[in-house]
Amino acid sequence: MSRSAARDGRPDVVVSGLGIVSPYGAGVKSFWSGLAAGACTIKPITVIETEGFRSRIAAEIPAEVIATLGASRRRSRADRIALAAAGEALADAGLEGAARTETALLIGAVGGGMLEGENWYWEIARGRPSSGMGALRSILPFSHAETLGWRLGLTGPKETVVMACASGAASIALGADLIRAGVTPTALVGGVDALTHICFMGFNALKLLDPTPCRPFDRDRRGMSIGEAAAFLVIEDAAHCRARGGRVHARLAGYGMTTDAHHVTAPHPEGEGMIHAMQGALDAAGLAAREVGYVNAHGTGTPQNDRAEALALRRVFGEGGVLVSSTKSLVGHTMAAAGSVEAVATILALQHGLLPPTANLEHVDPEVPFDCLPVVARSADVSAGLSNSFGFGGQNVSLIFVRPEVGEVQPKASRQWRGEGQPKASRAD
Amino acid sequence: MIRRVVVTGIGTVNASTAGGRDALAGALALGRSTIGPVRAFDTAAMSSRLAAEVDEATLASLVDRDAARRLSRICRLALGACFLAVRDAEVAGGPGLGIVVGTEHGDFTSSRDFAHGFLRRGPAGLSPMIFPNTVMNTMASIAAIAIGAKAPSITVNQATLAGDLAVARGARLVADGRAEAVVAGGVDELFSDVYERLAQMGALSPMGGRGPEGCRPYAADHNGPVLGEGATFLVLEEREAARARGARIIAEITATAWGNVPVAPHTGHAGCADSGSPVARLIRGRGATGVARCYGAGNGDPAVDDWERALLGRDLAAPADLVPPISLAPLFGQHGGLGALRVGAAALDAARGTSVVLVHGIARGGCRIALVVEPAA
Repeated sequence: MSRSAARDGRPDVVVSGLGIVSPYGAGVKSFWSGLAAGACTIKPITVIETEGFRSRIAAEIPAEVIATLGASRRRSRADRIALAAAGEALADAGLEGAARTETALLIGAVGGGMLEGENWYWEIARGRPSSGMGALRSILPFSHAETLGWRLGLTGPKETVVMACASGAASIALGADLIRAGVTPTALVGGVDALTHICFMGFNALKLLDPTPCRPFDRDRRGMSIGEAAAFLVIEDAAHCRARGGRVHARLAGYGMTTDAHHVTAPHPEGEGMIHAMQGALDAAGLAAREVGYVNAHGTGTPQNDRAEALALRRVFGEGGVLVSSTKSLVGHTMAAAGSVEAVATILALQHGLLPPTANLEHVDPEVPFDCLPVVARSADVSAGLSNSFGFGGQNVSLIFVRPEVGEVQPKASRQWRGEGQPKASRAD
Repeated sequence: MIRRVVVTGIGTVNASTAGGRDALAGALALGRSTIGPVRAFDTAAMSSRLAAEVDEATLASLVDRDAARRLSRICRLALGACFLAVRDAEVAGGPGLGIVVGTEHGDFTSSRDFAHGFLRRGPAGLSPMIFPNTVMNTMASIAAIAIGAKAPSITVNQATLAGDLAVARGARLVADGRAEAVVAGGVDELFSDVYERLAQMGALSPMGGRGPEGCRPYAADHNGPVLGEGATFLVLEEREAARARGARIIAEITATAWGNVPVAPHTGHAGCADSGSPVARLIRGRGATGVARCYGAGNGDPAVDDWERALLGRDLAAPADLVPPISLAPLFGQHGGLGALRVGAAALDAARGTSVVLVHGIARGGCRIALVVEPAA
């Protein structure tokens, strides 16, 4: 039993399944290979027009990967990657029968099926006829939850959480609350976002995009690089997982969620809300800061975010008190998916004893007094990792994952996902 | 220790009224429909022409003029209702105050304006001031800053039930100790493009051109919803803390549940049974303990109306007295704040002594919710 469960008597929450479609490809295996190799996926954009913009790059899911996803091509790009990632997570968890049916579904989302809706709108706004009005049915963020809830046959609580770039992390935290309250024993939680015109144009308009691949924590950083992904976790009441022989990837030991209430787009300059989120997560986990060995930072690469986050990290962990990296330098800022993508990265880092690097980091900003793991992944025996996600509107979520103790790791009970959305190559494995 | 959740404030800006608990009670007692011909834009070429609109003068009186110039209409609706709710509850901002906003459509007006800038002038036409509004959590962000909410700030997106779901999630935050108090509710605005597209897709009354346009939930001649707009927020607090500060408690939310009935997106019909969502379990359990009054999400959409009747008919112990449930859609129009308004109405009923009030909802796509509201002990 964790220290938190021992304190309040509520269930421990463990992670029993992982699934992801990222710019590296479909599946956890390709994601981890890419992170471990420190391979940056940020390249010129192909899915939307970029002529005339300051930044014209992003971390895209390759067309050949999208083409292998089994889901109907009538679905939005975001729905298709969400189905594939969610299916992998459920299969990895080996959830079947009633345990699967009663599972909650919480999805962090922002863009919905906007990409397809934009294509229709662009045509009619330019006075051209378009037959694509049906795309509007999937334009809103909640359409992902409708699609997944239906295709995966889930009857537990269903929610679409829109908290900008903290959406994916928030869905994990709020799902954990449902488990700890005894509402449901299992939850499929995560986030999804596909590239959209509005996101690309908006961050360009705010001059928050680096024309070159982003360099979080670098002295010369000039902004972020956007990306797209879907990542899901199956989280579960630890006792329920143990009883059914499920596998434990990690314990979700605690989380903190706060709001700056300061500015719509800028973080609090002293990182006040970030500090409280991280401290809240530590308190919930019953851990001291020195017991956390790795922070997967929000680390967007914008001057403001990285400065405020470094200040907050220094207040919580002390100068140089923890190893820090930003995987956004590898797979871009995947918006609503970022929190769950980075949760998966943090868990895999704990499992493998290898911390993913910060790509493109050449000259560490002197205002960032941490080892930010430049360019090359590093072996480290770390038992607890914290993942930060911050969003527009001053929304801050910090999640702490702890490597399971030896007795907690069960034989892998996962099954291959054979439903809609699974990459065809994997089906044939 | 179980943390019990009470309602200590109501703020509403809708087509009928703007104010706190007394204003809402007055509008409900009046029972006057606010649905009429759309005034905000020309509907002559559309198949639907009715809506329940918030008067601009009413809205202007709620938000400081300087602040209002920088805010989109939907942000002003949300902000106005949040101010009224906080004032009604006399609750202060700080690290213990959270906010949950439910919305179905968010700020599409800003998305349209942002895109038009590009279509007119290319990249140079894009406004960095408008872009943040295109993200659906902008209403929560603006309101959190204004009322000083530093605990979780959450936006939930859902068709038909956005307000109910926000209140249920807010109650969960209080019950779990994530916040001492939460301002929770919903908001949507009437926007010409959304209205026109929904009408084109046959999603508004008169669906398929059958019969006269109008909002007639559960009636034999129902033929689609009529849109409204507005915002309604409740202040939810932990009961003992509310008592300790001398809050005027309206009612207690004694149970919440939400779940999914797996159906294809945008669909639903009376034949789709709920085989075991948390909502079915809650209502079947509650059915034996005497629900005295029931509000429903029926809005004139035959799919929603018929499905809700069927589900409640199966799950309630005494459905004859409660089905069809009471719908508030004919008074205020369908919008993201209506669910919170239903819970507010239930709280006012409980304050007048109604023993157990069930607020129920089902949406196309299968989201189902129930909240139980009782007099505060």
